[in-house]
Amino acid sequence: MSIDSTTRTTKSGSGHKPRSVAFTALWPSSVGLGMRNVRNIRRLPSAFLPSLLMPIIQAVAFSGTFFAVTQIPGFPTDRSINWYLPLGVILGCGFAGIGVGFTTVRDIESGFYDRLRMTPVPRLALITGPTLGALIRALVVTTTVFLVGLLIGARLTDGMLGLLMLYVASLGVATLGTFWGLALAYRFRDMRGAAIMQLTFFLALFLSDAQTPLSVMEGWLHGVARVNPFTNILRLGRQGFLGDVTWANTWGGLVAIAAICALTLWFAVASLNRLRD
Amino acid sequence: MSPTAPIVTEGLQRYFGSGDDLVKAVDGVDLEIKPGEVFGFLGPNGAGKSTTVRMLTTLLRPTGGAAFVAGYDIVAQANEVRRNIGVALQDAAIDPLMTGAELLQLQAVLYGLPRSQHQTKASELLERVGLTAAADRRVGTYSGGMRRRLDLALSLIHEPSVLFLDEPTTGLDPLSRMNLWEEIRRLNHDGTTVLLTTQYLEEADQLAERIAIIDHGVIVREGEPEALKTSVGCPTLFVSVERDEEDTATEVLGRFGDLRPSHEGTLGVGLLHGPGEVSNVVRQLDEAGVAVRNLELHEPSLDDVFAEATGYRLEGAAENPDGGDGSDEVDDK
Repeated sequence: MSIDSTTRTTKSGSGHKPRSVAFTALWPSSVGLGMRNVRNIRRLPSAFLPSLLMPIIQAVAFSGTFFAVTQIPGFPTDRSINWYLPLGVILGCGFAGIGVGFTTVRDIESGFYDRLRMTPVPRLALITGPTLGALIRALVVTTTVFLVGLLIGARLTDGMLGLLMLYVASLGVATLGTFWGLALAYRFRDMRGAAIMQLTFFLALFLSDAQTPLSVMEGWLHGVARVNPFTNILRLGRQGFLGDVTWANTWGGLVAIAAICALTLWFAVASLNRLRD
Repeated sequence: MSPTAPIVTEGLQRYFGSGDDLVKAVDGVDLEIKPGEVFGFLGPNGAGKSTTVRMLTTLLRPTGGAAFVAGYDIVAQANEVRRNIGVALQDAAIDPLMTGAELLQLQAVLYGLPRSQHQTKASELLERVGLTAAADRRVGTYSGGMRRRLDLALSLIHEPSVLFLDEPTTGLDPLSRMNLWEEIRRLNHDGTTVLLTTQYLEEADQLAERIAIIDHGVIVREGEPEALKTSVGCPTLFVSVERDEEDTATEVLGRFGDLRPSHEGTLGVGLLHGPGEVSNVVRQLDEAGVAVRNLELHEPSLDDVFAEATGYRLEGAAENPDGGDGSDEVDDK
């Protein structure tokens, strides 16, 4: 070990004098943690590829298998891919978000998370940092699935504004998925949390109008889907593929994203604080 | 207690569970570690060492009592504590997907170092711990010793005033261990206060100016190593005999002083009247028909202090830690 340190205070003259480092700001520490998350896409592609391939496969498979859905009277499009592509995007982005929860469980189990918790970053940065990473993953997923969708026949019905709505919905779902994944990772601290992350996300998404329009649903499923906020989020993301973008189809999704993000962020912060207990 | 001391604990407690399942992992620990001191913190597995360190490094909230690190309350001013401490925990893993240089630069970001210093600080520390050649390799390819050195470098990125080292040399080869000792001495010479937990008593003897021994969550001995050794008093004679003669041998040895904890297959006795009694011990054992297989006389050591305080001897404690295998099992006598 080659040692060449500059002596700051010799022991003979030492007194206890805290050498406090600078205040660590939220943004740079979040970027640092987010970049670690992004870097691991390249280093461990097997952890990211499922969230990219799954929505592509799903969009292709559902639009092919359920092409007859367009024959339902009043169905808002004559292209089944226009209906299922936003669903695939939102599903993939949700998994890009809760994938951060998986990574955090692994970090907690390995002890790496202790190292992060011992740094003087604002506690919120431990949440916003991975969220930045998830948003970048979600951008990759949304762009890739959209481009593949175009190749197999998807068409925007309201130009770039419609595409913007898809990005808003997908990034919103990635954000709430990250908060939810982190909260469960902090709460359970092991892979039990990972199972609950997946199960709850699937349930929340598929108990909405993910597969078929509300108008053709019956019974309890119709009731649940009608009040399920994911129905509003899907409406937000889909509108640019089904017709014109309107405020009526937009505000409900924005409110749903904001409300779920607020709740899941609160849950994540509270669960992070409980890690010290 | 001085609130300006780098580490102060007052009746620090940490309990787990409740009711019949209540575990008092740390049960009223009082410590005051002086500025610029290397303080050895010893104890068998499950004694409360790691729990204490996890509380002092803000990873765990105390159940009761108070503690101040670098002058800050570990509960109310946790972030101030974090800004002033460096920690190399035995079980704090390093992300295997990142390179050594990337990890150091991330650490520099998280400690708020100016951007212009990230690269230079990382390079300086990598050189300091002898990892320059491996800087751009993923940590997953590092040996155990290289990881420990990187771990130390990570803990030094912000030049902390208080350094927590949790079994820093466990699993290291002799040369790496000696180098790490040298580095700890240098850091301490530069004014850094070090709290060192270790299972190697000789390591504590070599590095620590004062030590504390914790057992069942309570500090059972505290002081300078020499003073603690002196407090044990008389030397210990270890005698190996056949198993079926142990009862007789125990009776004979009891005539010369208090029986002391020893490793399996060996009996230990503190010779009240000093080394001169050895010949009498051998003669009386012979007269009692006990065949002595081996005989060793040990001057008081930290091993004796530890054994007297806890009733345990650390496996391999009498050996030079350079030859240790990293085992932390204890003999329960």
